[in-house]
Amino acid sequence: MATDKVTLADALSNVDVLDEFTMPDEQPCIEAQPCSVVYQANFDTNFEDRNGFVTGIAKYIEEATVHASLNELLEEGLEHAVMLYTWRCCSRAIPQPKSNEQPNRVEIYEKTVEVLAPEVNKLLNFMYFQRKAIERFSAEVKRLCHQEKRKDFVSEAYLLTLGKFINMFAVLDELKNMKSSVKNDYSTYRRAAQFLKVMSDSQTLQESQNLSMFLATQNKIRDTVKENLEKIQGYEELLADVVNICVHMFETKMYLTPNEKHMLVKVMGFGLFLMDSELCNINKLDQKKKLKLDRIDRIFKNLEVVPLFGDMQIAPFNYIKRSKHFDVSKWALSSSINSMSPQADLMVHLPQIREDHVKYISELARYSNEVTTTYKDCGSDIENRETAELALRGLQLLSQWTSVVTELYSWKLLHPTDHHMNKECPQEAEEYERATRYNYTDEEKFALIEVIAMIKGLQVLMARIETVFVDAIRRNIYAELQDFVQLILREPLRKAIKNKKDLIRSIIVSVRETCADWHFGVEPTADPALKGKKDPDNGFGIKVPRRKVGPSSTQLYMVRTMLESLIADKSGGKRTLRKDIDGQYLIQIDQFHKTSFYWSYLLNFSESLQNCCDLSQLWYREFYLEMTMGRKIQKCHVRHQHNEECSDLITMEKRIQFPIEMSMPWILTDHILRSKEPSMMEYVLYPLDLYNDSALYALTIFRKQFLYDEVEAEVNLCFDQFVYKLSEQIFAHYKQLASSILLDKRFRVECLAAGAYILSYPRANRYETLLKQRHVQLLGRSIDLNKLITQRINADMQKSLDLAISKFESGDITGVIELEGLLQVNRLTHKLLSKWLALDEYDAMFREANHNVLAPYGRITLHVFWELNYDFLPNYCYNAATNRFIKCRGLQFVQPVHRDKPPQMSHHYLWGSKQLNLAYSTQYGQYSGFVGFYHFRTMCKLLGYQGIAVVMEELLKIVKSLIQGSLLQFTKTLMEAMPKVCKLPRYDYGSPGVLGYYHAQLNDIVQYPDAKTELFHNFREFGNTILFCLLMEQALSQEEVCDLMHAAPFQNILPRPYCKEGEKPETKQKRLEVKYSALQIVPNVDKYGTAKQAMVAKEGDLLTRERLCCGLSIFEVVLSRLRSFLDDPIWVGPPPANGVMNIDECTEFHRLWSALQFVYCIPVGDTEFTVEELFGEGLHWAGCAMIILLGQQRRFEALDFCYHILRVQRVDGKDENVKGIHLKRMVDRIRRFQVLNSQIFAVLNKYLKSGDSDASSVEHVRCFPPPIHPSLAHVQQHYHAPEYLRQVNHP
Amino acid sequence: MSTTHREAIQKQIQQDWANREYIEVITGSIKKITDFLNSFDMSCRSRLAVLNEKLTTLERRIEYLEACVTKGETLT
Repeated sequence: MATDKVTLADALSNVDVLDEFTMPDEQPCIEAQPCSVVYQANFDTNFEDRNGFVTGIAKYIEEATVHASLNELLEEGLEHAVMLYTWRCCSRAIPQPKSNEQPNRVEIYEKTVEVLAPEVNKLLNFMYFQRKAIERFSAEVKRLCHQEKRKDFVSEAYLLTLGKFINMFAVLDELKNMKSSVKNDYSTYRRAAQFLKVMSDSQTLQESQNLSMFLATQNKIRDTVKENLEKIQGYEELLADVVNICVHMFETKMYLTPNEKHMLVKVMGFGLFLMDSELCNINKLDQKKKLKLDRIDRIFKNLEVVPLFGDMQIAPFNYIKRSKHFDVSKWALSSSINSMSPQADLMVHLPQIREDHVKYISELARYSNEVTTTYKDCGSDIENRETAELALRGLQLLSQWTSVVTELYSWKLLHPTDHHMNKECPQEAEEYERATRYNYTDEEKFALIEVIAMIKGLQVLMARIETVFVDAIRRNIYAELQDFVQLILREPLRKAIKNKKDLIRSIIVSVRETCADWHFGVEPTADPALKGKKDPDNGFGIKVPRRKVGPSSTQLYMVRTMLESLIADKSGGKRTLRKDIDGQYLIQIDQFHKTSFYWSYLLNFSESLQNCCDLSQLWYREFYLEMTMGRKIQKCHVRHQHNEECSDLITMEKRIQFPIEMSMPWILTDHILRSKEPSMMEYVLYPLDLYNDSALYALTIFRKQFLYDEVEAEVNLCFDQFVYKLSEQIFAHYKQLASSILLDKRFRVECLAAGAYILSYPRANRYETLLKQRHVQLLGRSIDLNKLITQRINADMQKSLDLAISKFESGDITGVIELEGLLQVNRLTHKLLSKWLALDEYDAMFREANHNVLAPYGRITLHVFWELNYDFLPNYCYNAATNRFIKCRGLQFVQPVHRDKPPQMSHHYLWGSKQLNLAYSTQYGQYSGFVGFYHFRTMCKLLGYQGIAVVMEELLKIVKSLIQGSLLQFTKTLMEAMPKVCKLPRYDYGSPGVLGYYHAQLNDIVQYPDAKTELFHNFREFGNTILFCLLMEQALSQEEVCDLMHAAPFQNILPRPYCKEGEKPETKQKRLEVKYSALQIVPNVDKYGTAKQAMVAKEGDLLTRERLCCGLSIFEVVLSRLRSFLDDPIWVGPPPANGVMNIDECTEFHRLWSALQFVYCIPVGDTEFTVEELFGEGLHWAGCAMIILLGQQRRFEALDFCYHILRVQRVDGKDENVKGIHLKRMVDRIRRFQVLNSQIFAVLNKYLKSGDSDASSVEHVRCFPPPIHPSLAHVQQHYHAPEYLRQVNHP
Repeated sequence: MSTTHREAIQKQIQQDWANREYIEVITGSIKKITDFLNSFDMSCRSRLAVLNEKLTTLERRIEYLEACVTKGETLT
């Protein structure tokens, strides 16, 4: 209810309850701090509340006032620096009037002034600001350098602020020098303004002149500062103090963020430069021990280059080199060029960083586990202190690593590579490219990624327990502060009161009153220390309260500064205050002063953490953009003596940014992707986080929309690339894995043995972690990486399947085996990937690729049929000995087939990699020369029942048209040419005589031109079809048997168990059945499923059981269909005149076939092709099948011309040349074909007669016992007809 | 400086400590709420992503099945 009042306690407990919600997030954290809402409380008042601390010493309250205004100036300075740094040239975009006569030039000028005026205003403000800032700075210096004041102590905070001013001047001056576009824009404006006479009054004109001069004069700010300072007497001593405090702070690591560290170094350099003048020689100051140049020298060597602003770098030592009294001997380290600065070598730092990281992470993990598992309201003082120290140490480590990264980056920017140093760097590489893209070795890139990952990773961990840290930090600081002021300061106070050291007493009292939080609200007045007396023997008890809050920023400043004045080496008077304080107290105060330095950072933990991890400047390149100004310089590369003519070609490109290849975040990301280094893969999101840093910087510090837009544009581009590359890589990886798993093991072993090439399994990689990422934060967007990769890989998978089929389509029928292999690999790839990605179902994908979703027959079926029809049937020759078809190498009877070219595809769409592609193509090459059992089996698998049915149906149609078309036509023609009567000549003629007789009789057929070509070709096609159907059925049967074997255990069909003697097989069988009862489908579905499921299961079971039982045969059906095509009377001729059978008449088909057989049995010359070579056994299959289907087998066997020649030759054994025919060779051929024919008849009979039982077949046959000629009685029959046997058995 | 005046100031300072502690408590609580919101956000995103994935899969499957059933014609 809105009206209900919620008490604070309730509200707080409500907040506490939030902890108890469990928020499962199942993705491994491999990205930088992902947060949608950032909450940072800032209690820095910039001394606004200074007047509240009236009890403080007035001088420091005044100083606070000065600080406040100086801080404001510094902030303003930063804004101007940002303005300069992010300045983009406007004048280039502004059209210039080409001549004075141009009519619209007034308009152009007016617009120019209108557009540029606000920008110029910024420049004016900048000029005023620097004037003001220099004046202010000089005034401060002058005040502090006053002779009396000089003796007084100047606080550390004050000196540091002056240092910050010096830094600001250096930065602004360099920025102003660098930005030529500022000057160009201003002169454009000025030209326009002068033309329009906008600046009419003399003051404006003067101002404009001043600004012009200010912008045009290099080093203007620096020189003015120097000029002004040199007028102040003793300024060098103050500056020496500033430099010394910087040295001191640098050496004792009294800084936190990398920016502060670099500022200290810059102040040293620029400070020394400012000091060294006509009047002052820094070398002499060194001699007087006012400066310690050797220490600065070492610092400058260790840090040769520091970031100045954005991507602008500066070598602080250069300031020294430019100074008047530069003496090389004083700067031995910095001026030596032999040794490289340690900042240039990341690898030196890496082991230490790794060690620190591991150490700290484990400590943090231990701590974090402790706080999450044990509930504590608040820890003890010691625990809190340890936690606070842990937090500080973490921040310092982060800062240190960030420094290492930024320092390396800075050094590299100032030391670009070239094509001599880096072979990969092209000669014409751009400046920025040479500073980034080609400037890092692979090792360095990995190291950078690793360090960035450590920074970002640790940042996440620390941010996660921020509330715990912050809590402990506040308690700890409070406790330390209160204990110090309420307890520890009592002793020096007592001493001061006792010894009447009023100044010390008043300072200590001020300190106490400024920040003591007394238990009873007021200082215990009874405290003997306040009277300079000793405590009573049992001690004076002071109870120091405990709170969870730190001092305010002003309070902390006051306390620290006042304490500093106690322990300072200088004071206003003759003797320093520290001489009046006992050593032990001094140490305590000093210790407190040192510890409390870090409190401001700790109190702003969240901000400090962010600052320590800020790597945004790795992206900014305004300096380089300014340098190139959209130009691309092309150098003359022709190999010749370069002369004046080949001056650099400058092309202006309309580009406002560098390509991503030169951008550090992408260079690092891409490096991981390119190297595919498994140990780095999980870091891949960290370099991308640099864009988050840069974008945040653009939004909060630079506050420039266009910079953010540019970051965003680059991120869009990079992320697309990233997802594209990553998913391709993942797909290729899993493809390779699948291919490697499926690659024949023996093949692999033999490859290894042969040492040809090693097909190693792909290296395990950590893609899984990446695949689990469902929300990646990038520029405030949350990206489901898993989904994006799934989409791409789904498409890849689809394409892969599609290409596999396309590849098949581009080749002949033999490619079917490779297709099967490819599909198998894709299936395995799919299975492996499906563990991580929600891909579409494999079958669905396959059917889509096969175009089998909408159409009834897929691409595979169609292509198989196409190949059968156009290539296989007309061109292949069968050989029963090998049971293979091979392509006819002789004459081609049809046009060569044209197939589409195989599509170009990258390796990962095929088998995964080049080596694997080679290995597999070698393996599958073995199958490309023939069509055999493997091919039929594979076709069975791929076509399935439906495919087989449709292919056969279509083939039958072809055969039908063949039989009823050209074959019928040929038969009719040839029957005419057949002799009307052709007897079996008597043996007495001898085999040459018989041969001669037949040759004469069949001369017309022999001479018939088309018989040996076109006709045989048609028969071959017919025969190949029959063979195809037969072999398909055989293959299918094997597949089915395999299926049944696989199904058997689920159908309670178990192999017969082995039984020893005395064991009963039945009981053993029963036991097995019980054992495997859980596998049996039907009873289980009956038991647990619905009635409908049970019915389905039963039907399925029945279908499986019955599949082979009733002996359904495709081939039988095919034969009966073929028989139905032979309906023309020409095949059988008129009924026999004798009412029994035709003997000598040539009216039936088998007589024609005998004639054809005679034709092809005639041996050919050496140069001619035999029929076997040309047509294979398909020819004989066609003839035999027709004969058997016409029921003419017996007559054929009995009356065939060739067989008769053979029989006669067997008897007389003659060998002659009859009309050019070599008898012996002819007979050999006849014998061979006789065997073949009888084999074919046997096979066909098996299928045709399978349905008939012996008894019925005998009953319907009229038996005519043929008269046996005495001469034939002993001729051995090669083939025993069943009837014949029967006759023998039952004479 | 009179004692009462000093005591008044000391009390004010103490009050200031107390006030700031109160502010800290509130700030800390807001921070906790922020953390909660962030982790809630993460958790929701991950669950929604899973849900989205399931729905996408189903949608694609339905599309496929529809195509299978209708052979190209759209279901009406």
